[in-house]
Amino acid sequence: MNELIFAGLDGVLVLIFYAVVMLLIGYFSGRGEKGLHESLSNYYLAGKGLGLVTLFFTLYATQYSGNTIIGYAPAAYRSGFVWLQSITFMTVIFAGYLLFAPRMYVISKRLNFITPTDWLQFRFNSKAVSILAIFLMLWGLGNYLLEQLVAIGQAVSSLTGGTIPYQVAVVAFILVMLIYEWLGGMKAVAFTDVMQGVVLMVGIFVFLIGAFYLVGWDFGTVTRFIAEAEPAKAAVPDLPTTINWFSILILVGCGAAIYPHAIQRIFAAKSERTLKRSFAVMAWMPLITTGLVFVVGIIGIALIPGLDEAGSEQLVGLMANQIASINGFYYWIMILFFGAIVAAILSTADSVLLSFSSLVSNDVYGKYINPNASEHKKVMVGKVVGVIAVILLLWLAWNPPGTLYEIFVLKFELLVQVFPAFVVGIYWKRMAAMPVFWGMLAGAVIAGGMTLTGHGTYMGVHGGVIGLAVNFIVVVVGSLLVPVTEQKEVKLRKIDLVE
Amino acid sequence: MDNKSIKEPIQKKWIWIILFFIILGNVPWYFQSGSIAPLVWGVPYWTLFIVAFAILLSAFTSWVIMTQWNIVEDEEEDEEKERKRGIEHE
Repeated sequence: MNELIFAGLDGVLVLIFYAVVMLLIGYFSGRGEKGLHESLSNYYLAGKGLGLVTLFFTLYATQYSGNTIIGYAPAAYRSGFVWLQSITFMTVIFAGYLLFAPRMYVISKRLNFITPTDWLQFRFNSKAVSILAIFLMLWGLGNYLLEQLVAIGQAVSSLTGGTIPYQVAVVAFILVMLIYEWLGGMKAVAFTDVMQGVVLMVGIFVFLIGAFYLVGWDFGTVTRFIAEAEPAKAAVPDLPTTINWFSILILVGCGAAIYPHAIQRIFAAKSERTLKRSFAVMAWMPLITTGLVFVVGIIGIALIPGLDEAGSEQLVGLMANQIASINGFYYWIMILFFGAIVAAILSTADSVLLSFSSLVSNDVYGKYINPNASEHKKVMVGKVVGVIAVILLLWLAWNPPGTLYEIFVLKFELLVQVFPAFVVGIYWKRMAAMPVFWGMLAGAVIAGGMTLTGHGTYMGVHGGVIGLAVNFIVVVVGSLLVPVTEQKEVKLRKIDLVE
Repeated sequence: MDNKSIKEPIQKKWIWIILFFIILGNVPWYFQSGSIAPLVWGVPYWTLFIVAFAILLSAFTSWVIMTQWNIVEDEEEDEEKERKRGIEHE
Protein backbone atom coordinates (compact mmCIF):
# COMPACT_ATOMS: atom_id res chain seq x y z
CA MET A 1 0.00 0.00 0.00
CA ASN A 2 1.19 3.54 -0.69
CA GLU A 3 2.71 5.73 2.00
CA LEU A 4 -0.10 7.19 4.02
CA ILE A 5 0.23 10.86 4.79
CA PHE A 6 -1.03 10.25 8.29
CA ALA A 7 1.26 7.31 8.92
CA GLY A 8 4.03 7.48 11.48
CA LEU A 9 4.12 8.10 15.19
CA ASP A 10 0.37 8.77 15.53
CA GLY A 11 -0.32 5.46 13.81
CA VAL A 12 2.11 3.65 16.08
CA LEU A 13 0.40 5.11 19.17
CA VAL A 14 -3.03 3.99 17.99
CA LEU A 15 -1.75 0.49 17.23
CA ILE A 16 -0.16 0.23 20.67
CA PHE A 17 -3.44 1.36 22.21
CA TYR A 18 -5.39 -1.36 20.35
CA ALA A 19 -2.78 -3.98 21.29
CA VAL A 20 -2.94 -3.11 24.98
CA VAL A 21 -6.76 -3.24 25.01
CA MET A 22 -6.73 -6.67 23.37
CA LEU A 23 -4.16 -8.00 25.84
CA LEU A 24 -6.18 -6.69 28.77
CA ILE A 25 -9.36 -8.33 27.45
CA GLY A 26 -7.48 -11.61 26.99
CA TYR A 27 -6.03 -11.42 30.46
CA PHE A 28 -9.32 -10.69 32.19
CA SER A 29 -11.33 -13.25 30.22
CA GLY A 30 -8.95 -16.03 31.27
CA ARG A 31 -8.42 -14.92 34.85
CA GLY A 32 -10.29 -16.72 37.60
CA GLU A 33 -11.51 -19.43 35.24
CA LYS A 34 -10.27 -22.53 37.02
CA GLY A 35 -11.21 -25.16 34.50
CA LEU A 36 -10.33 -23.16 31.40
CA HIS A 37 -7.20 -25.06 30.43
CA GLU A 38 -8.36 -28.41 31.78
CA SER A 39 -11.26 -28.91 29.40
CA LEU A 40 -11.51 -28.89 25.60
CA SER A 41 -15.04 -27.53 25.79
CA ASN A 42 -14.07 -24.68 28.12
CA TYR A 43 -10.99 -23.65 26.16
CA TYR A 44 -12.23 -24.06 22.60
CA LEU A 45 -15.96 -23.36 23.01
CA ALA A 46 -16.09 -21.03 26.03
CA GLY A 47 -17.84 -23.79 27.97
CA LYS A 48 -20.66 -23.71 25.39
CA GLY A 49 -22.01 -20.61 27.07
CA LEU A 50 -21.69 -17.68 24.65
CA GLY A 51 -24.51 -15.18 25.17
CA LEU A 52 -26.25 -13.00 22.59
CA VAL A 53 -23.84 -10.04 22.46
CA THR A 54 -20.61 -12.05 22.40
CA LEU A 55 -21.99 -14.63 19.98
CA PHE A 56 -23.22 -11.96 17.60
CA PHE A 57 -19.96 -10.01 17.61
CA THR A 58 -17.80 -13.09 17.32
CA LEU A 59 -19.84 -14.14 14.28
CA TYR A 60 -19.57 -10.62 12.88
CA ALA A 61 -15.86 -9.97 13.50
CA THR A 62 -14.91 -13.42 12.27
CA GLN A 63 -16.96 -13.27 9.09
CA TYR A 64 -15.85 -9.76 8.18
CA SER A 65 -12.13 -9.35 8.10
CA GLY A 66 -9.85 -6.44 7.30
CA ASN A 67 -9.92 -7.92 3.83
CA THR A 68 -13.60 -7.01 3.62
CA ILE A 69 -12.41 -3.41 3.36
CA ILE A 70 -8.97 -3.46 1.78
CA GLY A 71 -9.85 -6.25 -0.66
CA TYR A 72 -13.54 -5.65 -1.44
CA ALA A 73 -13.37 -1.92 -2.15
CA PRO A 74 -10.81 -2.56 -4.93
CA ALA A 75 -12.99 -5.41 -6.20
CA ALA A 76 -15.90 -2.96 -6.54
CA TYR A 77 -13.54 -0.50 -8.19
CA ARG A 78 -12.49 -3.05 -10.81
CA SER A 79 -15.81 -4.75 -11.52
CA GLY A 80 -18.24 -1.89 -10.92
CA PHE A 81 -21.90 -2.42 -9.97
CA VAL A 82 -21.62 -6.17 -10.52
CA TRP A 83 -19.89 -6.24 -7.14
CA LEU A 84 -23.36 -5.84 -5.59
CA GLN A 85 -23.08 -9.63 -5.39
CA SER A 86 -20.87 -9.16 -2.31
CA ILE A 87 -23.98 -8.22 -0.33
CA THR A 88 -25.87 -11.34 -1.29
CA PHE A 89 -23.08 -13.84 -0.95
CA MET A 90 -22.62 -12.74 2.63
CA THR A 91 -26.36 -13.09 3.32
CA VAL A 92 -26.76 -16.42 1.61
CA ILE A 93 -24.38 -17.93 4.21
CA PHE A 94 -27.26 -17.72 6.68
CA ALA A 95 -29.56 -19.56 4.34
CA GLY A 96 -26.74 -22.15 4.27
CA TYR A 97 -26.75 -22.28 8.08
CA LEU A 98 -30.51 -22.88 8.05
CA LEU A 99 -29.90 -26.16 6.24
CA PHE A 100 -28.18 -27.73 9.20
CA ALA A 101 -27.61 -25.43 12.18
CA PRO A 102 -30.96 -25.97 13.91
CA ARG A 103 -30.52 -29.75 14.11
CA MET A 104 -26.74 -29.58 14.56
CA TYR A 105 -27.13 -27.36 17.62
CA VAL A 106 -29.38 -29.93 19.32
CA ILE A 107 -27.17 -32.91 18.40
CA SER A 108 -23.98 -31.14 19.44
CA LYS A 109 -25.39 -30.41 22.89
CA ARG A 110 -26.67 -33.95 23.27
CA LEU A 111 -23.41 -35.61 22.22
CA ASN A 112 -21.04 -32.91 23.47
CA PHE A 113 -19.17 -32.13 20.25
CA ILE A 114 -15.99 -30.06 20.23
CA THR A 115 -15.11 -30.09 16.52
CA PRO A 116 -16.97 -30.84 13.27
CA THR A 117 -15.01 -34.08 13.09
CA ASP A 118 -16.76 -35.33 16.24
CA TRP A 119 -19.97 -35.30 14.22
CA LEU A 120 -18.44 -37.06 11.21
CA GLN A 121 -16.86 -39.67 13.49
CA PHE A 122 -20.18 -40.33 15.23
CA ARG A 123 -22.16 -40.42 12.02
CA PHE A 124 -19.89 -42.48 9.78
CA ASN A 125 -17.52 -44.18 12.24
CA SER A 126 -14.89 -44.34 9.52
CA LYS A 127 -11.23 -43.40 9.84
CA ALA A 128 -11.02 -42.71 6.11
CA VAL A 129 -13.87 -40.16 6.19
CA SER A 130 -12.62 -38.47 9.36
CA ILE A 131 -8.99 -38.22 8.25
CA LEU A 132 -9.83 -36.89 4.78
CA ALA A 133 -12.23 -34.35 6.29
CA ILE A 134 -9.64 -33.29 8.89
CA PHE A 135 -7.12 -32.84 6.11
CA LEU A 136 -9.48 -30.71 3.99
CA MET A 137 -10.50 -28.60 6.97
CA LEU A 138 -6.94 -28.04 8.22
CA TRP A 139 -5.87 -27.16 4.70
CA GLY A 140 -8.67 -24.64 4.32
CA LEU A 141 -8.05 -23.11 7.74
CA GLY A 142 -4.28 -22.99 7.19
CA ASN A 143 -4.62 -21.10 3.92
CA TYR A 144 -7.24 -18.81 5.37
CA LEU A 145 -4.86 -17.99 8.21
CA LEU A 146 -2.01 -17.42 5.75
CA GLU A 147 -4.15 -14.89 3.89
CA GLN A 148 -4.83 -13.00 7.13
CA LEU A 149 -1.13 -12.94 8.07
CA VAL A 150 -0.22 -11.43 4.71
CA ALA A 151 -3.00 -8.85 5.13
CA ILE A 152 -1.80 -7.84 8.62
CA GLY A 153 1.62 -7.11 7.13
CA GLN A 154 0.18 -4.83 4.46
CA ALA A 155 -2.13 -2.96 6.83
CA VAL A 156 0.40 -2.44 9.61
CA SER A 157 3.23 -1.37 7.36
CA SER A 158 1.12 1.23 5.59
CA LEU A 159 -0.20 2.63 8.85
CA THR A 160 3.13 3.03 10.59
CA GLY A 161 4.73 4.39 7.42
CA GLY A 162 7.96 2.52 8.09
CA THR A 163 8.34 3.95 11.61
CA ILE A 164 8.18 0.37 12.79
CA PRO A 165 9.80 -2.02 10.29
CA TYR A 166 7.23 -4.15 8.50
CA GLN A 167 8.30 -7.52 9.90
CA VAL A 168 8.66 -6.29 13.47
CA ALA A 169 5.13 -4.88 13.35
CA VAL A 170 3.66 -8.12 12.05
CA VAL A 171 5.46 -10.22 14.65
CA ALA A 172 4.36 -7.85 17.41
CA PHE A 173 0.70 -8.08 16.43
CA ILE A 174 0.75 -11.81 16.01
CA LEU A 175 2.37 -12.12 19.42
CA VAL A 176 -0.46 -10.06 20.89
CA MET A 177 -2.95 -12.44 19.28
CA LEU A 178 -1.13 -15.56 20.45
CA ILE A 179 -0.88 -14.25 24.00
CA TYR A 180 -4.55 -13.36 24.44
CA GLU A 181 -5.63 -16.56 22.78
CA TRP A 182 -3.28 -18.62 24.94
CA LEU A 183 -4.64 -16.94 28.08
CA GLY A 184 -8.33 -17.09 27.39
CA GLY A 185 -9.13 -19.44 24.49
CA MET A 186 -12.54 -18.94 22.90
CA LYS A 187 -13.57 -16.54 25.66
CA ALA A 188 -10.71 -14.21 24.83
CA VAL A 189 -11.39 -14.57 21.10
CA ALA A 190 -15.08 -13.75 21.56
CA PHE A 191 -14.56 -10.83 23.96
CA THR A 192 -11.88 -9.25 21.78
CA ASP A 193 -14.26 -9.78 18.85
CA VAL A 194 -16.77 -7.46 20.56
CA MET A 195 -14.20 -4.66 20.60
CA GLN A 196 -12.85 -5.48 17.13
CA GLY A 197 -16.35 -5.78 15.64
CA VAL A 198 -17.53 -2.43 17.01
CA VAL A 199 -14.40 -0.70 15.75
CA LEU A 200 -14.83 -2.23 12.31
CA MET A 201 -18.50 -1.21 12.03
CA VAL A 202 -17.80 2.37 13.07
CA GLY A 203 -14.72 2.51 10.83
CA ILE A 204 -16.69 1.56 7.72
CA PHE A 205 -19.37 4.17 8.43
CA VAL A 206 -16.89 6.97 8.94
CA PHE A 207 -14.87 6.03 5.88
CA LEU A 208 -18.04 6.13 3.81
CA ILE A 209 -18.96 9.56 5.17
CA GLY A 210 -15.47 10.82 4.29
CA ALA A 211 -15.79 9.39 0.77
CA PHE A 212 -19.17 11.08 0.27
CA TYR A 213 -17.73 14.36 1.54
CA LEU A 214 -15.03 14.19 -1.14
CA VAL A 215 -17.55 13.79 -3.96
CA GLY A 216 -19.74 16.59 -2.62
CA TRP A 217 -22.45 14.23 -1.30
CA ASP A 218 -23.56 13.60 -4.88
CA PHE A 219 -23.67 9.94 -5.85
CA GLY A 220 -25.51 10.73 -9.11
CA THR A 221 -22.44 12.50 -10.47
CA VAL A 222 -20.35 9.45 -9.62
CA THR A 223 -22.69 7.16 -11.55
CA ARG A 224 -22.87 9.52 -14.55
CA PHE A 225 -19.08 9.67 -14.63
CA ILE A 226 -18.84 5.87 -14.63
CA ALA A 227 -21.56 5.54 -17.28
CA GLU A 228 -19.59 7.85 -19.58
CA ALA A 229 -15.98 6.90 -18.80
CA GLU A 230 -16.33 3.19 -18.15
CA PRO A 231 -19.82 2.08 -19.21
CA ALA A 232 -19.03 -1.62 -18.72
CA LYS A 233 -18.82 -1.02 -14.97
CA ALA A 234 -22.34 0.41 -14.81
CA ALA A 235 -24.06 -1.85 -17.32
CA VAL A 236 -26.02 -5.07 -16.88
CA PRO A 237 -23.36 -7.82 -17.06
CA ASP A 238 -23.11 -10.38 -19.87
CA LEU A 239 -24.29 -13.98 -19.47
CA PRO A 240 -21.00 -15.62 -18.32
CA THR A 241 -20.65 -12.97 -15.59
CA THR A 242 -24.24 -13.61 -14.54
CA ILE A 243 -23.65 -17.37 -14.37
CA ASN A 244 -20.48 -16.73 -12.37
CA TRP A 245 -22.50 -14.57 -9.97
CA PHE A 246 -25.02 -17.37 -9.42
CA SER A 247 -22.23 -19.93 -9.05
CA ILE A 248 -20.51 -17.91 -6.35
CA LEU A 249 -23.78 -17.67 -4.41
CA ILE A 250 -24.00 -21.47 -4.39
CA LEU A 251 -20.34 -21.94 -3.52
CA VAL A 252 -20.40 -19.46 -0.65
CA GLY A 253 -23.85 -20.51 0.57
CA CYS A 254 -22.70 -24.11 0.95
CA GLY A 255 -19.05 -23.43 1.81
CA ALA A 256 -18.86 -20.52 4.21
CA ALA A 257 -21.36 -21.93 6.69
CA ILE A 258 -19.32 -25.09 7.11
CA TYR A 259 -15.99 -23.48 7.85
CA PRO A 260 -14.93 -25.28 11.04
CA HIS A 261 -14.82 -22.04 13.02
CA ALA A 262 -18.31 -21.20 11.75
CA ILE A 263 -19.64 -24.58 12.89
CA GLN A 264 -17.94 -24.25 16.25
CA ARG A 265 -19.86 -21.06 16.89
CA ILE A 266 -23.03 -23.17 16.72
CA PHE A 267 -21.53 -25.52 19.31
CA ALA A 268 -20.48 -22.61 21.52
CA ALA A 269 -23.91 -20.95 21.69
CA LYS A 270 -25.47 -20.80 25.11
CA SER A 271 -28.95 -21.61 23.91
CA GLU A 272 -31.08 -21.99 20.81
CA ARG A 273 -32.61 -18.60 21.46
CA THR A 274 -29.19 -16.93 21.57
CA LEU A 275 -28.10 -18.67 18.38
CA LYS A 276 -31.29 -17.73 16.53
CA ARG A 277 -31.19 -14.10 17.54
CA SER A 278 -27.55 -13.64 16.58
CA PHE A 279 -28.17 -15.30 13.21
CA ALA A 280 -31.26 -13.17 12.61
CA VAL A 281 -29.30 -9.95 13.14
CA MET A 282 -26.33 -11.26 11.16
CA ALA A 283 -28.58 -11.79 8.13
CA TRP A 284 -28.92 -7.97 7.93
CA MET A 285 -25.25 -7.16 8.39
CA PRO A 286 -24.09 -7.57 4.77
CA LEU A 287 -26.21 -4.55 3.80
CA ILE A 288 -24.31 -2.27 6.18
CA THR A 289 -20.91 -3.94 5.80
CA THR A 290 -20.07 -5.29 2.34
CA GLY A 291 -22.85 -3.05 0.99
CA LEU A 292 -21.19 0.12 2.30
CA VAL A 293 -17.72 -1.04 1.25
CA PHE A 294 -19.19 -1.56 -2.23
CA VAL A 295 -20.32 2.09 -2.28
CA VAL A 296 -16.82 3.17 -1.21
CA GLY A 297 -15.29 1.26 -4.14
CA ILE A 298 -17.76 2.79 -6.60
CA ILE A 299 -17.04 6.30 -5.35
CA GLY A 300 -13.35 5.43 -5.81
CA ILE A 301 -13.89 4.94 -9.55
CA ALA A 302 -14.86 8.60 -9.91
CA LEU A 303 -12.48 9.93 -7.26
CA ILE A 304 -9.28 8.24 -8.44
CA PRO A 305 -9.96 7.03 -11.99
CA GLY A 306 -7.65 4.99 -14.17
CA LEU A 307 -5.90 2.71 -11.68
CA ASP A 308 -4.69 -0.60 -13.14
CA GLU A 309 -5.19 -3.89 -11.30
CA ALA A 310 -2.13 -3.54 -9.03
CA GLY A 311 -2.84 0.15 -8.54
CA SER A 312 -6.44 -0.52 -7.53
CA GLU A 313 -5.23 -2.69 -4.65
CA GLN A 314 -3.99 0.57 -3.09
CA LEU A 315 -7.44 2.16 -3.36
CA VAL A 316 -8.30 2.25 0.36
CA GLY A 317 -4.93 3.81 1.22
CA LEU A 318 -5.27 6.40 -1.53
CA MET A 319 -8.78 7.36 -0.46
CA ALA A 320 -7.75 7.41 3.21
CA ASN A 321 -5.02 9.92 2.34
CA GLN A 322 -7.57 12.22 0.71
CA ILE A 323 -10.03 11.84 3.56
CA ALA A 324 -7.32 12.43 6.20
CA SER A 325 -6.38 15.74 4.58
CA ILE A 326 -9.92 17.16 4.90
CA ASN A 327 -9.27 18.34 8.48
CA GLY A 328 -7.93 17.30 11.89
CA PHE A 329 -11.05 15.36 12.80
CA TYR A 330 -10.90 13.17 9.70
CA TYR A 331 -7.13 12.81 10.18
CA TRP A 332 -7.57 11.13 13.56
CA ILE A 333 -10.57 9.14 12.40
CA MET A 334 -8.49 7.70 9.55
CA ILE A 335 -5.77 6.61 11.97
CA LEU A 336 -8.40 4.90 14.12
CA PHE A 337 -9.86 3.40 10.94
CA PHE A 338 -6.58 1.82 9.89
CA GLY A 339 -6.15 0.48 13.39
CA ALA A 340 -9.65 -0.98 12.96
CA ILE A 341 -8.53 -2.77 9.82
CA VAL A 342 -5.66 -4.37 11.72
CA ALA A 343 -8.05 -5.30 14.55
CA ALA A 344 -10.50 -6.81 12.07
CA ILE A 345 -7.81 -8.96 10.50
CA LEU A 346 -6.72 -10.16 13.93
CA SER A 347 -10.29 -10.99 14.90
CA THR A 348 -10.59 -13.30 11.92
CA ALA A 349 -7.11 -14.77 12.30
CA ASP A 350 -7.60 -15.57 15.99
CA SER A 351 -10.82 -17.51 15.37
CA VAL A 352 -9.28 -19.45 12.51
CA LEU A 353 -6.22 -20.27 14.60
CA LEU A 354 -8.34 -21.40 17.53
CA SER A 355 -10.32 -23.70 15.28
CA PHE A 356 -7.09 -25.02 13.77
CA SER A 357 -5.73 -25.79 17.25
CA SER A 358 -8.96 -27.49 18.28
CA LEU A 359 -8.77 -29.84 15.29
CA VAL A 360 -5.21 -30.73 16.27
CA SER A 361 -6.10 -31.17 19.98
CA ASN A 362 -9.33 -33.04 19.66
CA ASP A 363 -9.01 -34.83 16.33
CA VAL A 364 -5.43 -35.46 15.26
CA TYR A 365 -3.91 -35.85 18.72
CA GLY A 366 -6.97 -36.83 20.73
CA LYS A 367 -8.39 -39.39 18.31
CA TYR A 368 -5.35 -40.91 16.64
CA ILE A 369 -2.10 -40.15 18.43
CA ASN A 370 -2.88 -40.29 22.14
CA PRO A 371 -6.56 -40.88 22.87
CA ASN A 372 -5.86 -41.53 26.57
CA ALA A 373 -4.22 -38.17 27.21
CA SER A 374 -5.81 -35.85 29.76
CA GLU A 375 -7.85 -32.95 28.41
CA HIS A 376 -5.27 -30.59 29.85
CA LYS A 377 -2.59 -32.23 27.74
CA LYS A 378 -4.78 -32.21 24.63
CA VAL A 379 -5.44 -28.48 25.04
CA MET A 380 -1.71 -27.88 25.54
CA VAL A 381 -0.76 -29.84 22.39
CA GLY A 382 -3.28 -27.84 20.33
CA LYS A 383 -1.93 -24.53 21.63
CA VAL A 384 1.69 -25.42 20.95
CA VAL A 385 1.00 -26.81 17.47
CA GLY A 386 -1.03 -23.65 16.76
CA VAL A 387 1.97 -21.48 17.60
CA ILE A 388 4.24 -23.64 15.42
CA ALA A 389 1.73 -23.44 12.55
CA VAL A 390 1.68 -19.63 12.79
CA ILE A 391 5.49 -19.52 12.67
CA LEU A 392 5.56 -21.77 9.60
CA LEU A 393 2.84 -19.77 7.87
CA LEU A 394 4.65 -16.53 8.61
CA TRP A 395 7.79 -17.95 7.10
CA LEU A 396 5.73 -18.95 4.06
CA ALA A 397 4.14 -15.49 3.87
CA TRP A 398 7.57 -13.86 3.70
CA ASN A 399 9.12 -16.41 1.36
CA PRO A 400 6.30 -17.18 -1.08
CA PRO A 401 7.14 -20.14 -3.30
CA GLY A 402 7.79 -19.28 -6.92
CA THR A 403 5.90 -22.27 -8.28
CA LEU A 404 2.74 -24.06 -7.15
CA TYR A 405 1.56 -20.80 -5.69
CA GLU A 406 -2.02 -21.85 -6.45
CA ILE A 407 -1.90 -24.50 -3.75
CA PHE A 408 -2.01 -21.73 -1.21
CA VAL A 409 -4.97 -20.09 -2.83
CA LEU A 410 -7.06 -23.25 -2.61
CA LYS A 411 -9.31 -23.20 0.38
CA PHE A 412 -12.98 -22.79 -0.29
CA GLU A 413 -13.02 -25.20 -3.24
CA LEU A 414 -11.62 -27.98 -1.07
CA LEU A 415 -13.43 -27.18 2.13
CA VAL A 416 -16.86 -27.15 0.49
CA GLN A 417 -16.42 -30.85 -0.36
CA VAL A 418 -17.16 -31.71 3.28
CA PHE A 419 -20.66 -30.25 2.81
CA PRO A 420 -22.52 -33.44 1.72
CA ALA A 421 -21.07 -35.51 4.57
CA PHE A 422 -21.74 -32.80 7.05
CA VAL A 423 -25.19 -31.63 6.05
CA VAL A 424 -26.92 -34.41 4.12
CA GLY A 425 -25.62 -36.93 6.67
CA ILE A 426 -27.84 -35.32 9.31
CA TYR A 427 -31.07 -36.11 7.52
CA TRP A 428 -30.41 -39.04 5.23
CA LYS A 429 -29.72 -42.16 7.24
CA ARG A 430 -28.89 -44.32 4.27
CA MET A 431 -25.81 -42.24 3.59
CA ALA A 432 -22.85 -44.60 3.94
CA ALA A 433 -19.20 -44.04 4.83
CA MET A 434 -17.34 -45.30 1.78
CA PRO A 435 -19.39 -43.36 -0.81
CA VAL A 436 -18.92 -40.27 1.36
CA PHE A 437 -15.17 -40.80 1.32
CA TRP A 438 -14.96 -41.34 -2.45
CA GLY A 439 -17.33 -38.44 -3.16
CA MET A 440 -15.31 -36.08 -0.99
CA LEU A 441 -12.07 -37.23 -2.60
CA ALA A 442 -13.44 -36.95 -6.16
CA GLY A 443 -14.80 -33.47 -5.45
CA ALA A 444 -11.51 -32.32 -3.92
CA VAL A 445 -9.44 -33.73 -6.80
CA ILE A 446 -11.66 -32.08 -9.43
CA ALA A 447 -11.80 -28.73 -7.67
CA GLY A 448 -8.10 -28.74 -6.78
CA GLY A 449 -7.07 -29.99 -10.22
CA MET A 450 -9.07 -27.32 -12.04
CA THR A 451 -7.55 -24.54 -9.95
CA LEU A 452 -4.00 -25.88 -10.18
CA THR A 453 -4.18 -26.21 -13.95
CA GLY A 454 -5.41 -22.64 -14.22
CA HIS A 455 -9.03 -23.49 -15.08
CA GLY A 456 -10.67 -22.13 -11.95
CA THR A 457 -14.05 -21.88 -13.68
CA TYR A 458 -15.75 -23.67 -16.56
CA MET A 459 -18.23 -21.49 -18.47
CA GLY A 460 -18.46 -19.27 -15.41
CA VAL A 461 -19.11 -22.15 -12.99
CA HIS A 462 -16.46 -22.58 -10.25
CA GLY A 463 -14.37 -25.75 -9.99
CA GLY A 464 -15.58 -26.07 -6.40
CA VAL A 465 -19.22 -26.19 -7.57
CA ILE A 466 -18.48 -28.77 -10.28
CA GLY A 467 -16.54 -30.88 -7.74
CA LEU A 468 -19.45 -30.56 -5.35
CA ALA A 469 -21.92 -31.79 -7.98
CA VAL A 470 -19.79 -34.88 -8.71
CA ASN A 471 -19.33 -35.39 -4.98
CA PHE A 472 -23.13 -35.39 -4.49
CA ILE A 473 -23.68 -37.88 -7.31
CA VAL A 474 -21.06 -40.30 -5.95
CA VAL A 475 -22.47 -40.03 -2.43
CA VAL A 476 -26.10 -40.55 -3.43
CA VAL A 477 -25.62 -43.36 -5.97
CA GLY A 478 -23.02 -45.11 -3.79
CA SER A 479 -25.17 -44.94 -0.66
CA LEU A 480 -28.19 -46.38 -2.46
CA LEU A 481 -26.07 -49.42 -3.33
CA VAL A 482 -25.01 -50.08 0.28
CA PRO A 483 -27.58 -51.91 2.43
CA VAL A 484 -28.53 -50.40 5.82
CA THR A 485 -27.75 -52.49 8.90
CA GLU A 486 -30.07 -52.61 11.89
CA GLN A 487 -27.21 -51.75 14.21
CA LYS A 488 -26.58 -48.53 12.34
CA GLU A 489 -30.26 -47.67 12.39
CA VAL A 490 -30.43 -48.04 16.15
CA LYS A 491 -27.37 -45.84 16.63
CA LEU A 492 -28.70 -43.12 14.37
CA ARG A 493 -31.88 -42.80 16.43
CA LYS A 494 -29.78 -40.54 18.62
CA ILE A 495 -29.93 -37.82 16.00
CA ASP A 496 -33.71 -37.85 15.73
CA LEU A 497 -35.38 -34.86 17.25
CA VAL A 498 -38.04 -37.01 18.89
CA GLU A 499 -36.26 -39.75 20.80
CA MET B 1 -39.95 -33.09 22.95
CA ASP B 2 -43.23 -33.63 21.27
CA ASN B 3 -43.31 -33.64 17.54
CA LYS B 4 -46.05 -31.02 17.11
CA SER B 5 -44.22 -28.14 18.76
CA ILE B 6 -41.04 -28.63 16.73
CA LYS B 7 -40.36 -26.21 13.90
CA GLU B 8 -37.40 -26.97 11.68
CA PRO B 9 -36.76 -24.97 8.48
CA ILE B 10 -35.38 -27.94 6.50
CA GLN B 11 -38.79 -29.65 6.78
CA LYS B 12 -40.65 -26.79 5.14
CA LYS B 13 -40.29 -26.95 1.39
CA TRP B 14 -41.89 -23.57 0.75
CA ILE B 15 -39.02 -21.81 2.54
CA TRP B 16 -36.51 -23.20 0.08
CA ILE B 17 -38.66 -22.50 -2.97
CA ILE B 18 -39.05 -18.86 -1.93
CA LEU B 19 -35.32 -18.61 -1.18
CA PHE B 20 -34.50 -20.01 -4.59
CA PHE B 21 -36.64 -17.40 -6.33
CA ILE B 22 -35.23 -14.55 -4.26
CA ILE B 23 -31.69 -15.63 -5.13
CA LEU B 24 -32.65 -16.01 -8.78
CA GLY B 25 -34.10 -12.49 -8.69
CA ASN B 26 -30.86 -11.19 -7.21
CA VAL B 27 -28.88 -12.22 -10.30
CA PRO B 28 -29.45 -9.81 -13.23
CA TRP B 29 -30.04 -12.40 -15.99
CA TYR B 30 -33.42 -10.92 -16.87
CA PHE B 31 -32.17 -7.51 -18.04
CA GLN B 32 -30.79 -6.52 -21.41
CA SER B 33 -27.05 -7.11 -21.18
CA GLY B 34 -25.06 -3.87 -21.62
CA SER B 35 -27.90 -1.48 -20.73
CA ILE B 36 -27.39 1.32 -18.18
CA ALA B 37 -30.13 3.92 -18.64
CA PRO B 38 -32.36 5.14 -17.21
CA LEU B 39 -30.60 6.30 -14.08
CA VAL B 40 -33.05 6.27 -11.20
CA TRP B 41 -32.13 8.12 -7.95
CA GLY B 42 -28.63 8.49 -9.32
CA VAL B 43 -27.96 4.81 -10.04
CA PRO B 44 -28.50 2.50 -13.05
CA TYR B 45 -32.10 1.21 -12.96
CA TRP B 46 -31.16 -2.47 -12.77
CA THR B 47 -29.13 -2.10 -9.58
CA LEU B 48 -32.28 -1.04 -7.72
CA PHE B 49 -33.82 -4.42 -8.45
CA ILE B 50 -30.67 -6.20 -7.28
CA VAL B 51 -30.57 -4.20 -4.06
CA ALA B 52 -34.30 -4.77 -3.49
CA PHE B 53 -33.78 -8.52 -3.79
CA ALA B 54 -30.76 -8.32 -1.46
CA ILE B 55 -32.94 -6.58 1.15
CA LEU B 56 -35.68 -9.12 0.57
CA LEU B 57 -33.17 -11.94 1.11
CA SER B 58 -32.02 -10.46 4.43
CA ALA B 59 -35.60 -9.89 5.55
CA PHE B 60 -36.85 -13.33 4.58
CA THR B 61 -33.83 -15.19 6.02
CA SER B 62 -34.08 -13.26 9.25
CA TRP B 63 -37.83 -13.86 9.48
CA VAL B 64 -37.45 -17.60 8.85
CA ILE B 65 -34.76 -17.84 11.54
CA MET B 66 -36.97 -16.12 14.11
CA THR B 67 -40.31 -17.73 13.33
CA GLN B 68 -39.76 -21.08 11.60
CA TRP B 69 -37.06 -22.48 13.87
CA ASN B 70 -37.99 -23.74 17.30
CA ILE B 71 -36.68 -27.10 18.42
CA VAL B 72 -35.47 -26.93 22.01
CA GLU B 73 -35.94 -23.24 22.73
CA ASP B 74 -39.00 -23.58 25.00
CA GLU B 75 -37.44 -26.43 26.91
CA GLU B 76 -34.14 -24.57 27.40
CA GLU B 77 -35.82 -21.35 28.47
CA ASP B 78 -37.97 -23.23 31.02
CA GLU B 79 -34.85 -24.90 32.41
CA GLU B 80 -33.11 -21.55 32.62
CA LYS B 81 -36.07 -20.09 34.53
CA GLU B 82 -36.03 -23.06 36.90
CA ARG B 83 -32.32 -22.63 37.44
CA LYS B 84 -32.69 -18.94 38.21
CA ARG B 85 -35.52 -19.64 40.62
CA GLY B 86 -33.30 -22.24 42.33
CA ILE B 87 -30.53 -19.71 42.82
CA GLU B 88 -32.95 -17.16 44.29
CA HIS B 89 -34.19 -19.69 46.85
CA GLU B 90 -30.70 -20.55 48.05
